[in-house]
Amino acid sequence: MKKYILKIFIILIFIQGFLFSQEEVFIRVSVKDYPSFSRVFIESSQPLSLDTEKSGSYIMVRARADNPFRINKSPFQSTRIKSVEWLKGSDYCIFTIKTFDESFQYQHSISQDSSLVLIDLGSSFEESAENNNDLAAPDSSSGSNNPTNISGQEELKTIVIDPGHGGLETGAEGRYGTKEKTITLEIALKLKKIIERNLPYRVQLTREEDVDVSLERRAAIANNYKAFVFISIHANGSYRRTARGSETFFLSLNATDEEVRRLAYMENNSTELEGIQSEEEDDLKLILWDMAQSSFIRQSSILAEKIQTKLNTLSGTLNRGVKQAPFKVLTGVACPAVLVETAFLSNPDEEKNLSKDEFQNRIATAIYLGLAEFLEDYTLQ
Amino acid sequence: MEYKKLILPAALFALLIILLVLFFASQGKEKTPEVTSDETMETGISGEKEVETKKMVLFFISEEDNLLRKEEREIVLGSTLEHQIECLVEELLLGSEQGLISPLPLETKIRGIYITRNRIAYIDFSSEFQTSHPSGSSAEISSIFSVVNSITYNFKSIEKVFILINGTEQETLAGHIDLRKPFLPRYDLIMD
Repeated sequence: MKKYILKIFIILIFIQGFLFSQEEVFIRVSVKDYPSFSRVFIESSQPLSLDTEKSGSYIMVRARADNPFRINKSPFQSTRIKSVEWLKGSDYCIFTIKTFDESFQYQHSISQDSSLVLIDLGSSFEESAENNNDLAAPDSSSGSNNPTNISGQEELKTIVIDPGHGGLETGAEGRYGTKEKTITLEIALKLKKIIERNLPYRVQLTREEDVDVSLERRAAIANNYKAFVFISIHANGSYRRTARGSETFFLSLNATDEEVRRLAYMENNSTELEGIQSEEEDDLKLILWDMAQSSFIRQSSILAEKIQTKLNTLSGTLNRGVKQAPFKVLTGVACPAVLVETAFLSNPDEEKNLSKDEFQNRIATAIYLGLAEFLEDYTLQ
Repeated sequence: MEYKKLILPAALFALLIILLVLFFASQGKEKTPEVTSDETMETGISGEKEVETKKMVLFFISEEDNLLRKEEREIVLGSTLEHQIECLVEELLLGSEQGLISPLPLETKIRGIYITRNRIAYIDFSSEFQTSHPSGSSAEISSIFSVVNSITYNFKSIEKVFILINGTEQETLAGHIDLRKPFLPRYDLIMD
């Protein structure tokens, strides 16, 4: 008998060790309504570091911990908060608090041991701030006696989506008269909606209607908004009707080994550029601007792979793979950038598909899924 | 048995003929530079000189995968490198013998070819290359690289190809591919 007890004891220790090594961060989310404001409780089993920001009718809460999250939400009904959703990464988690009304103010407080976060939102906060602190006291059962206010107002990052062509520049045209510029805009608008619904990013389109936008301007828009990722949407065209399928491109530098080496040298020794005469410097800047994409090629290729994989599984089109080519629109973009050729307008079957909402949604969803997967890794770097 | 006796004289005879041919051929070659130096126009018109040809490899486009496929051709050699490149590109314009796609719209004309010291060949096409081109990334990529690959593959002294339209630099061919920089060949686009 003693032997058995000993064995069970050892097994128990083993199991305990196993459980301990997992160390997930347990989080419980709940919402409570008060007359003048609503409060979101985020209770955690481990200290959290987090920041919040407001974007339209949303509040984004980004939480970080050293371990993966396990999240539990109590059902709630609130007059101000529509829903609380989240997106998990390996060691971070982003909560999206959706409200019914854009015109609200919020403030967030965190307990001293960083295990309880309170996010309060109401219509006019400044006046009732004192009042709120009073209310905060009884609820802070886990020891948030002195809630410290962190107003981490970091701006939302922007994803720039570029609907190819536009205005006089119609792009490819199908046999039934479908124009590339129309399809690209329709897909881009759908993609914008899906991203904004699911990811804590702002989405900027390079055009929102049927207008001419130069290729250089498209890259400039991306850089002016400090784009985090740039995605150009296109529909393909070929000589004959049989070509079909989807492919994703990233930029090929089209430079000799010698030129690539020189560029790498310039990038690594940018301090040396300071001593250069202003005229030369302008030339150099121009070259560097022209080659802005060069330092993002590797990330761009990863993004292209992720998007193409999703396109392949979701869109049902022939997989033409990831390719490299010197696309003008990608050269000046200073962030990971890809160009998606959704399907062939020169192929009558694919032309029909491209003009259908259902197919466009599938393409947009595939691009979104690839992007989301990419962002999970990229934001951690 | 009688055939065996004939082999030796036949071989000797064949050798004699080869030697004779080689002799005349070399004499002909020695003469050509003299002719070109002072009587180029005359020989050009009379055209009595035998034309020199060379086996070259052209790249046409396969519709299946938009990749490039080889096609060999005997091409008349011009006197200068520029002229030789022109003959090669003219051959691309004539189209494939195996039903492959030509990279250039039929109406396209070659306006000029220039070679710079840094081994870049500038090819100036008429505007039809742009206006009659089927728009679309795939079509643009295969058009450009079938021209670029065809030139660099046959003329090793050319490192890059710069495409001009109507004598000027263009931003893109048809809205996608950057024409403001010279192209290196892309042999990965060739399907053997």
